[in-house]
Parts: sequence; structure tokens; C-alpha cells
Amino acid sequence: MKSFTFLLPIILFSCVIISSCKKDSEQNSSTTTDLEKKIITDFADIVAFPNYQEIETKAMFLNQQAAILNTSTTAANLTIAQNSWRDLRSSWELCEAFIFGPVEDFNYDPALDTWPVNKTDLDSLLASNNGLTVADIEQLPSSLKGFHPIEYLLFGVGGNKMAGDFTSREKEYLLSLTASLLSTTTALRSSWDSGSPDDFKTQFKTAGEGSTRYEKRQDAFITLVSAMAGICDEVANGKMEVPFAAQDSTLEESQFSHNSTADFRNNIKGVEHVYLCKFNSDGTGLNDLVNSKHLALDNKIKNQLSAAINSFDAIDDNYGSAIYTQPVQILNVQNAINALKTTLETDLMNFVFINVKN
Amino acid sequence: MKKSIGFIFLLCYVLMMSMCRKPDIFPEEGYDERLSGGLQTAFDATSQSFTHEFEGMSQYDELIHELGDAAFEQTFVTAPAPINNGLGPIYNNVSCISCHHNDGKGVPSTGGIESSLLVRISQPGVDEHGGPLGIQGFGGQLQDKAVFGKLSECNVDITYAEQTYTFPDGTTYKLRTPTYTLNNLYQPIVVNYLLSPRLAPPVFGLGLLAAIPENQILAHSDINDRDGDGISGKPNYVWDPEKEIVMLGRFGLKANTATLMTQVAAAYNNDMGITNRIFKHDPTYNTSQWDSLGDDPELPDSILNAVKFYIQTLQVPARRNVNLPDVLSGKKIFMEAKCGSCHIPTFTTEINVALPSISNQRIQPYSDLLVHDMGPGLADNRPDYDADGTEWRTAPLWGIGLFETVNYPAYYLHDGRARTITEAIMWHGGEAEFSKNFVAQLNKSDRDALLKFLKSL
Repeated sequence: MKSFTFLLPIILFSCVIISSCKKDSEQNSSTTTDLEKKIITDFADIVAFPNYQEIETKAMFLNQQAAILNTSTTAANLTIAQNSWRDLRSSWELCEAFIFGPVEDFNYDPALDTWPVNKTDLDSLLASNNGLTVADIEQLPSSLKGFHPIEYLLFGVGGNKMAGDFTSREKEYLLSLTASLLSTTTALRSSWDSGSPDDFKTQFKTAGEGSTRYEKRQDAFITLVSAMAGICDEVANGKMEVPFAAQDSTLEESQFSHNSTADFRNNIKGVEHVYLCKFNSDGTGLNDLVNSKHLALDNKIKNQLSAAINSFDAIDDNYGSAIYTQPVQILNVQNAINALKTTLETDLMNFVFINVKN
Repeated sequence: MKKSIGFIFLLCYVLMMSMCRKPDIFPEEGYDERLSGGLQTAFDATSQSFTHEFEGMSQYDELIHELGDAAFEQTFVTAPAPINNGLGPIYNNVSCISCHHNDGKGVPSTGGIESSLLVRISQPGVDEHGGPLGIQGFGGQLQDKAVFGKLSECNVDITYAEQTYTFPDGTTYKLRTPTYTLNNLYQPIVVNYLLSPRLAPPVFGLGLLAAIPENQILAHSDINDRDGDGISGKPNYVWDPEKEIVMLGRFGLKANTATLMTQVAAAYNNDMGITNRIFKHDPTYNTSQWDSLGDDPELPDSILNAVKFYIQTLQVPARRNVNLPDVLSGKKIFMEAKCGSCHIPTFTTEINVALPSISNQRIQPYSDLLVHDMGPGLADNRPDYDADGTEWRTAPLWGIGLFETVNYPAYYLHDGRARTITEAIMWHGGEAEFSKNFVAQLNKSDRDALLKFLKSL
């Protein structure tokens, strides 16, 4: 991650500004404080928690489809199961724009989304007589469970899996994998639930006001901006760049389903959700604070978000092929995301240091 | 006119006198206390505060850092595989980040995906280089996971016995004593084995620790306690397998590793079973579990170098609240309790023209990088080069106030037995007995001030 030392002059400057602004009306200060609190609260209530709820709901549906496929292995049921994986995947990729809190503290991220699949061990496991119950699956290393082993079983190498290809052990493994996945998504959702022992939602919402994780409200804002910039970096310079630079489609993340481009786009849409505070409903977002104090920056971020998200439209081949056939389009997407990343980690981060005073 | 000439003469005299002042040492109070890593200090108090790269590196160095960053997160899988192959056959975890979550610490458990605790094993005696004597079939570290078709060396089960203690003001605290039991051993083992649990430590600031001149570290050494303060401070001289010489150990919880390169290469080999140019065979070599695939070294040198450079160039988080009265008071108590006798606040890194970003920085690690007798309560009773069974390296305290933010819930000490900083302090013994007792008799207000100081680090 980029250094934060460059912020030292900003921090000193903001101290001067703060100390020289004592004569500002208390009303303005109180309004800004209320706005900052609302942004933090709405992020937790309108974006994060509903996103995690949706992931759990969709994981339940995938598990149900795996059960149906297990008893009735038809082409139609396979298609429904594949689509339910894609649908769940889209919600997961959205929440990767805010990978902090329990998802990293309790390793839900690697439990759900370790990559690559340990294909050698997975094939050996299927060829063996080892147990494949949910209890057995829970004991497996992360590279043998979660999204990508499920993807491998549902889509197969090259995405050519047919209903008739399934062995009984593959179906049993798939069913247990989806049950294990559901269990993890339930734990993830619960960790943000106000009624749970962990209750990270309240931790986040009380930033600067008693939270033991976020001593200052500014810390919560830095966390949001850092997470947004972080996923931009990971998409442009990791997930996209690694297979592209190596010209090697085996390095593509969602290579069995050919879902990578959708994954990437949803990651950036997740950034938009955080910035605008929207998921299934709209709330007060970072954009409201930026808009009230620095209209040009707000416009710049919105434009760069749109440009980055829309730039994916030009990649019409699946990503594993596009790295060979559409290099210009890929570079354009990477450039658009990197421009956004730079704005987030410099302009927006500076804005937070200067303007979020608590 | 004469008066004017006299005035000008006087002015010139004053100016000349002031210009002729010899340069003084920059006063201690002139430094910004927040800059724990000197210029390599990150102003971030979030869960990402340990992850920031050095400032001022060349574009090429930034690229290497980023390559190392990506490799640090890379999950290894069983060979043969098109990418990231070579895991195991036996291992403790699948990637660097699996143990060093967010470049920090992890969880003191074994066998799980989140587990960041490993157990070193040996038998009485020393090897050909004076290090711990490994055990045939088990080597020097227990690998409690295995790829499909192979057997892990054992399961390590951890149980705790908890006891409640009370401060004079009535505040209670609990200390839990761990017991490590080996189950499901894949083959019989000698009965007199010695175990040493190690929780993965944070990896930020290591480049700065590596850049502390050796004479500055040795200046704090007092093996025979000639000054009579009850604190010795022993350098641990260890064999470095890359340079093939004995060197001053700086890294590892017993200072049993001299260089960052060896630290990284050993972790790849022992923790993940990844062979490299320094450790050419995985831990199963010459046993029935060896895969004999002929694919060694599994880790390209470029990746090994990049990951070493990555952990060499991670900034230190800035201190917070340094001027709050409680924090200042807590710092005074810290020094009065003689905590600062081992947790040495300040060092200055060496001049390094090859890597200016690391050069000549006043840093505040709060460690002397020496090993000390920490008493029977913390003893592993397993010698590691010159460090005996009661000695541990002084843990750097920089960043300790953010452990709970970076890796929640936080764990402290070499095996993560302490769940709070208070518990960690009260586990101190041996050379730190005075400090522990000093803290034990503090009133609540002073104890809170001490904790606020530590939380500011």
C-alpha cells in the first residue's frame, strides 16, 4: 500500500486551519459533525449490513439449488445453480470494496474466497473415499472450499461442465461446500448484527464516540477511503494485471465461470456504493460531505467512478481470452481505475484529513 | 556618526559571535514524538496501519515492493499446478498473509486457516552450528497440516489454565497458562523433546531494525550485569545459513535469526514447505513423506528477494496522543518502572547510500533486540543458540497500541497467551520482576496512565 507519510504536511496544515477556525459558527460545526455521523451510520445501515444480508440470502439459495441439482441433475438445474453462483458472486464482489472489520478479523474472506483452487488435492479428494459431509468440509484448508472450488465443480475447466459430467461424489462435495459457504456468510452477517456479541455495526457507528476500534471519527473515514482505494488497486494492478502481464489465462481468478470481468466491475461498483451510500436504498454518503465543501472533487470522483465502471463495456470477450485479444480495452480499464484510485488515495484522503476533525 | 559606527561594530560583533557557535547535538525535545519510524512513519491508525510502503523510494524499488506485496498474499497449492505450486507436503499455513494478517499478528491457535502459532521442537544438545538439535523425522518445527495423501507430523492441542489475580485497588486480572499437547503423531518421537510455541509477529519496521548499527545494540548488552541493575541483556549470536557465518541475531522471538533474507526464506521453507535457494529441501526431505518431484527450488529467487524487500520497506505507524497529560505521565511511569531499560525507546539507523529511505533515521522501536531472562512463567526451557530456556528477545513495542485495531482480538507475548497489555505486563518476570512489581503496586490512575502511554505507541 502507498505510504501515508505524504500526509504529514496535510496534518500540520489541518492543525493550523483547525486552530484558526475557532470563530466559525458553532452551528456550522455541529451541522458538519452531524453529517459525518450520518455518513458513518448510513454506511453501516444502508450499505454494509444489507450487503452482507444479501450475501447470506443468496448463499442460501445457492445451497438450495445445489440440493436440487444433487437429486435432479438436469441441464436446466445446472444452469440455475450456475446462475445462482454468479448472482451470489456479484453481491460478494460488491462488498470487497469494504474489506475491514470481521471479514478480515475472523478470516471470513479467505474462508470464502481463497484463490487459486488446490486442484491437485481437490481431484485427489474426489477420487478418494474420504468423507464429504459438511463436517468433513469444515476441516479442509481454505483452497478446497469457498467460491472457487464451487465454481470448479459447477462450471468445470473451460466452463464446459455438462449435467451428465457430474459424479455422485462431485454432487455430494458441491452440496457440502455450499452448506459450508452458507454457514460462513451467516457468521459474517451476524458479526455486523446489532444483536450479536461481536456487533461490529455498533463499533463502526460509534466511531469517535466510545468505539474501541475507531478512536476518532476520522479513523472510520480513513478506513472507508483506504478500503475503496485498496480494491481499485487490487482490481487494476492485481486481478487484471497479473494474467494480462503474464499473458496467462491460468492466472485469471474466476476462470471456470468466465465471470472475471463481472467480478471486476462489481468491485468498482462496490466503491461507488460506498461513496454514494447506496445499496438497495440511498443514504447519506461521503459524496454529501465532499459536495458540501469541495464540489470539484465530488464531480471528479463521480466522473471517474462512471468512467471506470463503464469502461468494462468495451471488454466483450471473456477475460481469459481478452488478455490476448483485447489488450487496448484492458489497458483503458486499468487506466480508468488507476485514475480513480489516485484520486481516492490522494485527493479524497487529503480531504478527509483536513475536513474530518474528530 | 561615531555612535553609528560603534553600533554597527557592536552589531557585527554580536552576529559573528552567534555565527561562531559550535553546532550542538539536536535536542531530544526537538524531535517529534509521533515519528516512530523517523521519516518512514505512517499516519494511519486503522487496520491498514502496518501495511504502508516506505516513502521516497525509486520507481524501481516501489515496483519490487509491490511485487513482494502481491507474493506475500499468494496462496500456495499442491504441486503439480500451473501457479503457486509447491505447498508442503507438510506445512503450517498456505501464505505469508495467513499468519501475518494485515502485516500484523494472528491468532494463537493451530491447525486452522486462521492459525498463526507454530511450535518449534528439538532435543537436548546442539547442532553443528550451536543451534537447537532437531529430531529425526520431525526436524526443528512441527508442521501440523499436510497436503492430500500425506500425514501432518501431529496435531498440537492447546489448553489454558486460568487464574485470577487482584491489584491492591481491587481491580482483577486473569492470567492463562498454556499447555501444549502433541496428538496423532505420524511416527513415534523421542520422549525428551523440547517445545517452543511462537506466535507470528508483525512485519512492519523490520528494515529499520535491520539498519540499527550493531554497536548501538551491543552498547546495551550487559551479560554479567556489571552495573548491578538486575538487567543483563544478551546478544544472541546465531548461524546464518545464507552467509554461512555466525552473526548477531535480531529477528525472531528469541533473536535466533540474523537477517531478513534468512527470516523470509526460513518461513517459506518451514511454514509452507516451499524450497528456495537458501533452504533447498522441504522439511520432509529424507523421510517417507518426501515428494521427490525434482522441482526444487520451488520459489524463484526474484520472488524471495521481492518478499524480503517488501518486509524491509514497511513503514511504522505514528504514535498518537503524544502530548496528552495522561500519556506523558504514563511515559514517566514507564521509565520509573525501568521498562525502558530493555524496551529502549530510541535508536538511529546507519547511513545507507544504497537505500536512502532507510538511512540515518531516529526511530523509536522500544526494544534493545537483546535476549533477557523473563522468568519461569514465560520460559519455554528450550535453548536457541545463546538464548537459554528462560530468555526471550525484548519485543519492540512500536505499534502495540494498534494491535487491537489491526488484528482483532489482540494477543500479546511470544505465544499469544496474554489478551490485554495488562496481562502481558503481569506475565513479566526474571529480569523484569522489578518492573512487574512496580506496576503491580501502582494505583489505578497511574496504571491507566501507563496503559494510555503504551496504547499511544
